[in-house]
Amino acid sequence: MALSKEVYKEFECVVGEENICDDPAIMPAYYNNKFAAVILPGNTAEVQAVVKLCNKHKLVFRPICTGWSGMFPPDIILLDLRRMNHIIEINEKNMYAVVEPYVISSQLQAELFKRGLNFCIKGAGTNCTAMLRGHGHMDQTTSGDDRNHLAIEWITPEGDIVRSGALGSSDEWFCGDGPGPSIRSILTSAVPPGVTPGVFTKAAVKLYHWPGPSAYPIEGVSPNYALSEIPPNMMARYYSFPSVEKMWQAELAIGESEISFELMGFNISMVAANITTSNEEEEETFNRLSKEVIGPGFFVIIAGNSAADFAYKKKVLEKIVSEADGKSLKAAEDPRIEGILMCQCTRISASIRETFRNGGAFNSIPIMGQRDLTIKWAIGAGKAKEPLIEKGYIVDDGGAFFGWGVEQGHLGKTEIFCKFDPQNAEAKAAVEAWQKQENLRAFKERYFASTMGPQDEIGPALCNYNQWWSKLVKALDPNGVSPEGGALV
Amino acid sequence: MGLEQYKGDMEMCCRCSACKFIPMQRVKGNQYAYACPSISRYNFHAYSGGGRLNIGAAMLKDGMKYTDKLLDIVYNCQLCGACGVSCNYAMDMEVLEPISEFRIKCVEDGKTNPALDKVIANLRKQGSMVIGARGKRGAWAAGLNIKDATKEKVDVLYHVGCLTSYDKNMQKMAKATVKILQKAGINFGIAGDAETCCGGRAYQMGYTKDFLNQAKKNMAMIKKSGAKTVVTSCADGYQAFKVLYDRFNLKGDLKVLHISEYIDKLIRDGKLKPRKKVDMAVTYHDPCRLGRLGEPWVHWEGKKIPGDRFVFDPPKPYRRGTNGVYEPPRDVLKSIPGVKLTEMTRIKEYSWCCGAGGGVNDSNPEFAKWTAQDRIEEAISTGAEALVTACPWCEKNFTEAIKDSGSNLKVYDIVELVEKAI
Amino acid sequence: MVAKEKLVKIVGAANVSDKQAALDEYSSDISFVNPVRPAYVVKPKNTDAIQKLVKLANKTQTPLVPVSSGPPHFRGDTVPGTGGAVIVDLGGMKKIIFVDRARRVAMIEPGVTFGELIPAAEKEGIRLNMPLLPRKSKTVIGSMLEREPVIMPKYQWDISDPLACVEVIFGSGDEFRTGQAAGPGTVKEQWDVGGIQKAPYGPGIASWHRLIQGSQGTMGIVTWASMRCEILPSLEEPFVVGSSNLETLLEMTSWLIRLRMVNECFILNNTNLAAIFAKKWPKDYQTIKDVLPTWILFYNLAGYEYLPEERISSYITDINEITQRLGVEAVKAVGEVSANEILKAVQQPSAEPYWKLRYKGACEDLYLLTIHDKLEGLIGEMNDLADKAGYSSSDMGIYIQPIVQGTGYHCEFNLFYDPGNSSERNRIKELSASAIKSLMAKGAFFSRPYGESAGMILNRDAATVGVLNKLKNMFDPNHVMNPGKVCF
Repeated sequence: MALSKEVYKEFECVVGEENICDDPAIMPAYYNNKFAAVILPGNTAEVQAVVKLCNKHKLVFRPICTGWSGMFPPDIILLDLRRMNHIIEINEKNMYAVVEPYVISSQLQAELFKRGLNFCIKGAGTNCTAMLRGHGHMDQTTSGDDRNHLAIEWITPEGDIVRSGALGSSDEWFCGDGPGPSIRSILTSAVPPGVTPGVFTKAAVKLYHWPGPSAYPIEGVSPNYALSEIPPNMMARYYSFPSVEKMWQAELAIGESEISFELMGFNISMVAANITTSNEEEEETFNRLSKEVIGPGFFVIIAGNSAADFAYKKKVLEKIVSEADGKSLKAAEDPRIEGILMCQCTRISASIRETFRNGGAFNSIPIMGQRDLTIKWAIGAGKAKEPLIEKGYIVDDGGAFFGWGVEQGHLGKTEIFCKFDPQNAEAKAAVEAWQKQENLRAFKERYFASTMGPQDEIGPALCNYNQWWSKLVKALDPNGVSPEGGALV
Repeated sequence: MGLEQYKGDMEMCCRCSACKFIPMQRVKGNQYAYACPSISRYNFHAYSGGGRLNIGAAMLKDGMKYTDKLLDIVYNCQLCGACGVSCNYAMDMEVLEPISEFRIKCVEDGKTNPALDKVIANLRKQGSMVIGARGKRGAWAAGLNIKDATKEKVDVLYHVGCLTSYDKNMQKMAKATVKILQKAGINFGIAGDAETCCGGRAYQMGYTKDFLNQAKKNMAMIKKSGAKTVVTSCADGYQAFKVLYDRFNLKGDLKVLHISEYIDKLIRDGKLKPRKKVDMAVTYHDPCRLGRLGEPWVHWEGKKIPGDRFVFDPPKPYRRGTNGVYEPPRDVLKSIPGVKLTEMTRIKEYSWCCGAGGGVNDSNPEFAKWTAQDRIEEAISTGAEALVTACPWCEKNFTEAIKDSGSNLKVYDIVELVEKAI
Repeated sequence: MVAKEKLVKIVGAANVSDKQAALDEYSSDISFVNPVRPAYVVKPKNTDAIQKLVKLANKTQTPLVPVSSGPPHFRGDTVPGTGGAVIVDLGGMKKIIFVDRARRVAMIEPGVTFGELIPAAEKEGIRLNMPLLPRKSKTVIGSMLEREPVIMPKYQWDISDPLACVEVIFGSGDEFRTGQAAGPGTVKEQWDVGGIQKAPYGPGIASWHRLIQGSQGTMGIVTWASMRCEILPSLEEPFVVGSSNLETLLEMTSWLIRLRMVNECFILNNTNLAAIFAKKWPKDYQTIKDVLPTWILFYNLAGYEYLPEERISSYITDINEITQRLGVEAVKAVGEVSANEILKAVQQPSAEPYWKLRYKGACEDLYLLTIHDKLEGLIGEMNDLADKAGYSSSDMGIYIQPIVQGTGYHCEFNLFYDPGNSSERNRIKELSASAIKSLMAKGAFFSRPYGESAGMILNRDAATVGVLNKLKNMFDPNHVMNPGKVCF
């Protein structure tokens, strides 16, 4: 339903004529959804004013950052936060940066690299917002999930500005918790449903030391970027192992010895996707590299703070791999490939090759948490891919899963996906069935419960968290203007 | 044909927003990370490369009404191709082609932009892209003793271009080019008054028929002249001759060089020796149609292979901006003694458009200027005293934007610096 | 007031007391909160009993005050805020449920102290990330729920660490398990498939454990908790660096932590270091203090399974570069205190008597969180305030703990005083309140608001309080959980 002229005008008064649109012409670009209007607020005050208007007129709203994915009902207001693209602060001494929603990870990381710093970039890719909660390739060093946010500035569904932790009390970004119990418990972003309602307008994220170069020495022309040299005191390798058990043994030892900057449990299909510049090249490379690996494996980057530190880490790495009967992939020892992988797996610039390039879509089951447990489940989920591969519904990746260590192996993440052509209705249905079946198996066999599943089943199995969340949303959002929370992708 | 042939490509867009930015690994900081002038200015996703693909897909699937907003989206695009380069770093799909086809469709459906209609009317009347141009096209060459390629056989036809011929401020480029070619002892000529627009900008604007008319006229004249090589100092012209004519099977064996490529060759062959010192700190702007869009056309025909991937039989080679003309202009600058080249952040295949492409300088001069202004700030940030480019449309747009901004930054075409050095 | 028999029915007669002496123990503590006598003390032994107690409290509108640590208490959060309260003393729940080396996690009941858990963990080859010298009666869960800072900032990835998951009975009477513990399945069923209760986030998108931490028992009662543990080093090499220039030590600290080279790492002033190591008072204390520099940075280098000597050696080389640049020296002893002694001490709870009480019998702790650039200024301000109040700043202990991998600092002022001297006590009470006010005005963040100053602290952030109240109304709709604490 279109906004009345008067209501449209009220929003226009807040953001300016250029920053609101309800013309059908823009809607195909916004998920082909018939939004009541798309609004581009420029700062916290404008967001607040828009939210208050939504309350006044009982209009549902949803915010997006780069907005990679999302499902939206019609006739709601979409807040496209594109104009809020400032890096507010980088505090080197206290290891945090403060960003607005439309600073993408690549921008923040480039600024951080100059200062010998880095942060957690989500595996979805460096083209996503830096503010996003999530997990990524570098989690071994840069942590993940909701553990990287510090203070957050939040516009509640009622249009109040709440600043968490030290931000609310003493105008500092370094701590998002307190006074007393932490509201960071409920301030979270991810793909809805069940995301914090309202809008995050700024967030502080933790930073980590970056022993690498202030900028990678990239040469070449797109899509053939490579490094002119491997930066000093850094090395990247891919190791495969004779069994999952051996791989896990090595992965755990690497975590406990704290030697890896990154441990990315790539399967060889993803390596092939990452380093190649076309679908055809990827297929050929996958077939070739598959013959070289001896089983499941992972990709490791070690980075020394000094030559001595690097030498130590390298020695330990080689020892651990040898003890687990691991084999180094020759292709990754080639400095050109090593450099490509190193750069792309720290700048996280090749995720799209690994996911969308093949067929145009991929459906995934990602799980954060206990790595050894989720690997167990993932083996079965991988086997369940085989019939789909045989039927040609999904890209043949050997039925593999992947994942990575988080916080030096304390936590972990496992993921498995199917890449397919979404225009192929049969393939789409088969993939969705696989996803449903494997989620159900995970639930029944008690590996985990995906919270994307049916809430009436999942909720009671997880201490009825959904009911608590529902109560909370009602308390925060009495007018029901932010029912699905915010999509920050 | 038309938009329909890109249905699969448009549906491949996963809305990753890579098209809005320069290739991720090339991002050097918070500033100068944006690649697409259109979405950078207008902010709604519809203005991005991906947004345009979404619109194209919707047009094919459900049909769309041509609202003012839709046409605003369509015509506020320089068709610079930056979106495609960033997208094609990772994805195998056409980006600029469907965007261009949508423009063409708008023109075919009679949904034109009045300012561009005026330009095309002028083209049909005068054979030029410069509205209100006075005098004869070849008048700038008076007294320069240049061979008339319509009357004498020449090895090289120097295609001057509309803007360079008619714009008094740009004619210096033509004169400098002539001086350079004469110094190198090249057997070249110009068509003078008989020269007509290459048609490249007409194609950008969506007027395919007019482009083809111009292309046929030009190829006829080139054949008559006996020239085996066409050299031009206009990037639009370069792309027209080299890429578009080839695409429409009109080019034949004709060799097409941009003047920067030619000068680079002449220097390497020892025919040109830039000896005089030109003390200048410069930065170089890669024109879109010399750089990423100047890469050769690849003739391909095939069918999508049904299955799990978006692949074709035979395999489709995508033009990803890899083979554009990037090094020759730089090598030329490096061979001029005293010139110190400092690169901007957005260069080569991910260069930021000057703002003049796609007819935008005519249909929305304010947006064209806005785009140029961003580039000028980027140039200034390098510490350079001069911005060097290789296209008169770029130079004109930059010059006008600098005037407005009050900056001291100078703008030169590459031939002007070479002329100083020889 | 709830009827005694109802309590007896739940926990058994032996675990209910309304005797004066027993009640008096919980009526007050070392803090300056008003003494309020509870009506009963109950000592449940399991989750079921706790849940029944909470449900009863709801029915009868009886305030419940959860306590796990033994006395002496310091914060005032375990002293009832209103009359008619029932102390729920979980100190008797002392099960160490598991210690898991492979997954580096342990699970315990609320009454387990550091002294009890450390040897159990050591047997499995793992250790806790501890606070600095907790008192003997301090429970591990109590410490984690308070968000006490820990001495290995490298291993504190998030301010909630080392806490992982909890089982909690909310004030509503509902049972809930946070993080991975939520399910699917019971905890035992999760174990049966190889699951362990370690990932702290969830269930769902929220991280509910963050709400329980810092709540001072106002949201519910924790019946067990799991926590992440670290591997016991195979080799350790501690060092100290003394300086009168705090900024130099802060600069060094920030690099040690940023480069992830050190395990234990903190700064003490000479008063505190002397107070910790003095055996005989006041002679020892003065002797030790007199030869100490103003500030002492302590850090420990550790090696694990693989090539520990090489690892430590490369750290020492890299640290040398830092110390040389800063013009300080890393040594094995400062004054009469050796780095090895410090290491040995801080890997255990405090010896008895609790080190903070040895000097004068009582101690008021004032602690805040801040950033590098503000720290010295706040310390200077506190010194001035102390001196002005007639409490010599040179008598004040200062403990600086980098937190959360260097994103901030916990700065703690320990004001030792004689509780028997009423004018001294009053002076400290006033100094504490006025200092909090002044330091807040200078940008200090009091993230853990206790006692009389809690209101003043929370009033600065009405918006957050608004949200907390919504959460409180959900989880404890009848406000039976520790009323009068935090902002409730």
